[in-house]
Amino acid sequence: MKKDLISIDDLALEQILDYLDLATQVEAMPEAEKAALLPGKILATLFFEPSTRTRLSFESAMCRLGGRVIGFSEAANSSTAKGESFSDTIRTVEQYADVIAVRHPKEGTARLASEIAGVPILNAGDGANQHPTQTLLDLYTLRKFFGKVDGLKIALVGDLKYSRTIHSLCRALLMFDGVAMTLVSPESLRLPGYLTKAAAGTTATFRESDDLPGAIRGCDVVYMTRIQKERFPDVVDYEKVKDCYRLDAQMLAAASPHLKVLHPLPRVNEISPDVDATPHAGYFEQARNGVIMRQALILDLLGVRPQ
Amino acid sequence: MTPQNQILLIPKIERGFVIDHIVAGLGIPVMALIGRRPELGDAVVTLGLNYKSTRMGRKDMIKLQADALPERLLQMLALVSPGVTIKRIANFEVVEKVVIQVPELFDNLARCINPNCITNAEPHVATRFKRLESGSKHFKCVHCERVCTLDELADHLKA
Repeated sequence: MKKDLISIDDLALEQILDYLDLATQVEAMPEAEKAALLPGKILATLFFEPSTRTRLSFESAMCRLGGRVIGFSEAANSSTAKGESFSDTIRTVEQYADVIAVRHPKEGTARLASEIAGVPILNAGDGANQHPTQTLLDLYTLRKFFGKVDGLKIALVGDLKYSRTIHSLCRALLMFDGVAMTLVSPESLRLPGYLTKAAAGTTATFRESDDLPGAIRGCDVVYMTRIQKERFPDVVDYEKVKDCYRLDAQMLAAASPHLKVLHPLPRVNEISPDVDATPHAGYFEQARNGVIMRQALILDLLGVRPQ
Repeated sequence: MTPQNQILLIPKIERGFVIDHIVAGLGIPVMALIGRRPELGDAVVTLGLNYKSTRMGRKDMIKLQADALPERLLQMLALVSPGVTIKRIANFEVVEKVVIQVPELFDNLARCINPNCITNAEPHVATRFKRLESGSKHFKCVHCERVCTLDELADHLKA
């Protein structure tokens, strides 16, 4: 039976840990060995909305495994512009590729693609719903920095209401043991109640705060997010909150030496460039980990396990 | 007047089905479902509204003189009016009785409430809604993962 990666909700903790272990194994391999793993295999990257970072990360992952990449980077460059349905695009492209990564502004597209296609589907983001490869690379980054995910103290900062990255990460962190999350956001961008309620019956805890410097003290991780202008129905509401949390090097002076700052990128103003030079900056390594995790996922979905 | 006497106000049928224990007020929406089934185009249908019921306080009831009830109608009843009793009638007697329960899955009965769900952009795609957990009135779209209530789904019925 073919495998897909559509939603973090489909994964049990054991499967997540298996992906993290596989990524660790892939990272340790010499580049030449990695490049011999998928000769002749083709990844199609179907990006119906632009996302340069995620697309390039998938493409880099496949190229470094010795495979090749075809695809498009926005709907205007695809047959969608001629009126083709999403279903027909998938039925066609599955004839051309061994695995498909799909990103689409509508929710549910990756699941639909997995129902239609005979080849594995990787969800590279479906509307405001899921972005599971981001969640897995975030977990991988946490484990690389701290050797574990259990028991970490993590401040989640910024747009907690609309960020699918935050929603998926929260759901995944609830599966681990004793993760303490401090939610730092303006009142209008609080984490949805269904997620905080989901902590009931788990060992995770949520605490809400609007004090970023206070949240930094005693934290292992500060996970920053961009306040997404495109999510606001009224631009006035966006202007009110757009720069409400800005992390700079001075703010981190009192932080624990091992604290890491993560961000799914791209950043705008929420992390000052002066943080980049501090040992706390973890976001560019996080981006690098994205390639490694996506290599692990492509290999797993294609049924290839490195020796 | 007792409930039994009231039921007799709708004539007994020799053959067909009684949809009983419809929550008062839902009789007309259930009639609308019946009206949408071409298989029942020739059926004689009687609608009774707002009868006293010892169990429900008030209830609606429908009698159909038909040979069979379409499967899709039964599925839609589970969405619009779960808990109704279907009684099959032969020779004026009840020969079979089934209570319609809320199922764990609704396959292609309703549209997703999320306007940005791909199933609304491509209506030929069959929808599927899974019950969150046993006993829950909340369902999740398997495509976009939006959670909705049974009532919301009932407001988004497909043809």
